[in-house]
Amino acid sequence: MAIMKRKQKVSDEIPTASMADIAFLLLVFFLTTTVFNEERGLPIVLPEQSEEQDVSPKNLIFFIVQPDGRVVVRRGESEQEQTIAYNQVANILRQEIASNSNLIAAIQTHPDAPYRHMVNTLDEVKLSGAERISLQELEN
Amino acid sequence: MAIKDSGFKKKSGAGSGIPTSSMADIAFLLLVFFMVTTVFRKERKRNIEWTSAEATEKIDEKRKNILHVWIERAGAVWINDAQVPFEEISEVVRPLYAENRELVIALRGDSDVPYAQINTITEELQEAGAVRVTFATRLEQRAMRARR
Repeated sequence: MAIMKRKQKVSDEIPTASMADIAFLLLVFFLTTTVFNEERGLPIVLPEQSEEQDVSPKNLIFFIVQPDGRVVVRRGESEQEQTIAYNQVANILRQEIASNSNLIAAIQTHPDAPYRHMVNTLDEVKLSGAERISLQELEN
Repeated sequence: MAIKDSGFKKKSGAGSGIPTSSMADIAFLLLVFFMVTTVFRKERKRNIEWTSAEATEKIDEKRKNILHVWIERAGAVWINDAQVPFEEISEVVRPLYAENRELVIALRGDSDVPYAQINTITEELQEAGAVRVTFATRLEQRAMRARR
């Protein structure tokens, strides 16, 4: 039998030609699985549980959100009520804050009112630039 | 003075092919970027109708500092893929808050949930001491709002 001598063809280098392919494969994997953090919303800080503050009625303005989405405005010291559409809330509050910078916007929501009406009103209050906001459930 | 066509010939050294040797480096650079920014979703999305607001802000908080509280239309509350009865929300949130004092609660409520339920939840959160709350909303454009 003839003795065949095998030529050693295996190179001792790392093949770099396929490196790009491997990298791109991994790249596509991470591209498709990436979820960028997109946390958005209306931030608010709730009062501590034991924290109760006495507020002078003249520093309060109530926005009472009705189940049908209308908003009743009541200034703290007066009994007068005014029914408005919620997209007027920002304008009214802006005027009120201009005359009294200590004003607290109290959003009182009817228990049966859908969440979105409360969010819409809170949106308006935030748009007006109010810093002091209180969230309450309307009590009968 | 320079004379035109004085015999100096510029050698054109630029090759016509795309350089492939640096391709791997570029790919690895992008790869490392996406590896670092990837956060695997660990929670299933619940089916809710989002509320939208024009004053929506981006919450600049690390993902691990945010706890999602989902409120479905039917009134089911979900925290970390588990349904939680209303009375037990504070018990579920309190240990999480004790673990991480920077916790922000993102309330993801369906737009039709009655406010009484939202109020119960905020009261439970107050009881647990987690007072930094965000009402998660989608950004609303002014043109859309006019049609509302």
